[in-house]
Amino acid sequence: MSPRIWFLRIVSILAYIFLWAPVIVIIVFSFSANKFGIRWEGFTMQWYYKLLENEAVWDACIRSLVIASVTVVVSTALGTLTAYGLYKLKFRGKMLLRTSILLPIVMPEVVTASALLVFFIKATPLTLGYPTIIIAHIVFSTPLAVFVILGRMQRVDWAWEEAAMDLGATRIRAFRRVIGPVLLPGIAGAAALIFPWSFDDFVITYFVAGIGNTTLPVYIFSQLRHGSSPVVNVIGTLFILFTLASLLLFMLVEKRSRAKGM
Amino acid sequence: MRKQAMPTTKEPVTPAVEIKNVIKRFGTVTAVDNMNLAIKQGEIFSLLGPSGCGKTTLLRMVAGFENPDHGEIRIQNEVVNHIPPYKRECNLVFQQMALFPHLTVAENIAFGLRERRRPPSEIKKRVMGMLDVVNLPGMENRYPHQLSGGQKQRVALARAIVLDPKVLLLDEPLAALDRRLRKEMQGELRRVQQEVGITFLYVTHDQKVALSLSDRIGIMYEGRINQVGTPVEIYETPRTSFVAKFMGGCNIFSGKAISINTTHLEVRDEHGLCIRAQTSKDVKPETVSGISIHPEMIEIIPGDQDLPSSDSIFNTIPGKIANVSYQGDFTELQVLIRSTGQKVTVHLNRRSDNSMSLVKGQEVSIHWDSCHSNLLVG
Repeated sequence: MSPRIWFLRIVSILAYIFLWAPVIVIIVFSFSANKFGIRWEGFTMQWYYKLLENEAVWDACIRSLVIASVTVVVSTALGTLTAYGLYKLKFRGKMLLRTSILLPIVMPEVVTASALLVFFIKATPLTLGYPTIIIAHIVFSTPLAVFVILGRMQRVDWAWEEAAMDLGATRIRAFRRVIGPVLLPGIAGAAALIFPWSFDDFVITYFVAGIGNTTLPVYIFSQLRHGSSPVVNVIGTLFILFTLASLLLFMLVEKRSRAKGM
Repeated sequence: MRKQAMPTTKEPVTPAVEIKNVIKRFGTVTAVDNMNLAIKQGEIFSLLGPSGCGKTTLLRMVAGFENPDHGEIRIQNEVVNHIPPYKRECNLVFQQMALFPHLTVAENIAFGLRERRRPPSEIKKRVMGMLDVVNLPGMENRYPHQLSGGQKQRVALARAIVLDPKVLLLDEPLAALDRRLRKEMQGELRRVQQEVGITFLYVTHDQKVALSLSDRIGIMYEGRINQVGTPVEIYETPRTSFVAKFMGGCNIFSGKAISINTTHLEVRDEHGLCIRAQTSKDVKPETVSGISIHPEMIEIIPGDQDLPSSDSIFNTIPGKIANVSYQGDFTELQVLIRSTGQKVTVHLNRRSDNSMSLVKGQEVSIHWDSCHSNLLVG
């Protein structure tokens, strides 16, 4: 075999090792008996059991789940409506709006986070906690949803909407019965991206969470400041598994919709 | 009570669709320019014209996807200008078929019926019945991506017809099909229309399809109707030079007309060439802009043969063969008229003109009866 192909193979293997090594280390050390989770000292499942008993972790985990779920629902709904308007309506400043949608993602997270903090404290009567975290997450993920769904809309044949209307459906019914189902892979894709993002978010959540409202990433951070703990490895492992599952689901949905010729 | 005598004359039948003084503009472009048209119940009416002539815009206005800036559109005498497409009793067969990809064939056809909240048993019966009408038995559970082009077209047709519309609108539905399939589907369309009796409004740029499919044709150009008539009328007696050119192949001689006698007139072009045509008392010579003659109506008289005696009802013009092109079922000749520089196209039929052997450069005369000359106005 030619040296070129060997070179390519070696580079690919190295790249994969580089990407996966940290992940594998965390997974392996979550089963290590070492008290700090930084060395291998024998196989054990004790840290997993310890996690089940830790109330603070469960508290933080549930909070993260709730926030992520609400964020996904609201931002995909908002994202779909926004994408619909941006795609179909003609108005002045449309191009400007379309590009500025990406602003929250493009700006450094710390900047967005501190701006939101000031906004919540000074401009709204809200106290820092669930509502502010959720709003902040929605601000960040809706542009992502718009982006993904808009992309999907390029592959929608709008003749379908006209055909549905011609056959007796109002625009809303046409959306429910035809455009919606066709957009579903895009909406599902957006959801599959937003859920892990919201669940994993640290910077913005840390700024706007206020006192006593920890999400899981914030909890992990606070634990690490007191010295490393194998529980962190365990949480990391579970995180990774969950994210992998979400991505696989996304790819499955995409594959099925492509098979139907959409 | 005394019985009244039945009227001997027929009452005027309501046209299926009426376009009255309709104007539609897009910015500075006038797509439809003061159009008037009446389509009869149960006929296949084709709107024929080149791309950009406004025919699709007109169709979309009848369907309800565009609103006229001025004028009225009536479906069965009801003004529909402001009725949204989902409430109008007409249905559209799209050029790209637009079948819903996530629904089966049966679900596609049932779509409109479900919107009307018909009971499931009725829906099932009508869908299966429609599959028979369009000749697609057993396909009810297939998905659109599993169908061929012709099959998709039938499903699109079935989906529209099952709703029993007052008029069926078709937007060049055969354009996406290859030639053989197009011929087959033409026959299918005609058969289905005769079976269900719905008025068809068919939009196309293809002259051959329009000629073979329609009961009447309306030629459209730059937002206006140029001529309306049966396929025979449109092809054999085009009224304007646009229609003559658009229907293909016509030779046109433009010029001023003067009467010779009560039955004939003569058109003289800029080079002094005179062409004779039959006329009637309704025709005013000053309105005539020229004469057209179809290539298949012209005879070729080889140069060495005697010309027929000078008879005022024939046209005989000397010229030279500039080109010979064998087309299989006919041979196409280009004959150069030396006095004017004009090239006249002549089609020689294989069956009747086989005895002639003609070569490029040969001296010939073109010859036709003036009753075949077609008068053009405008």
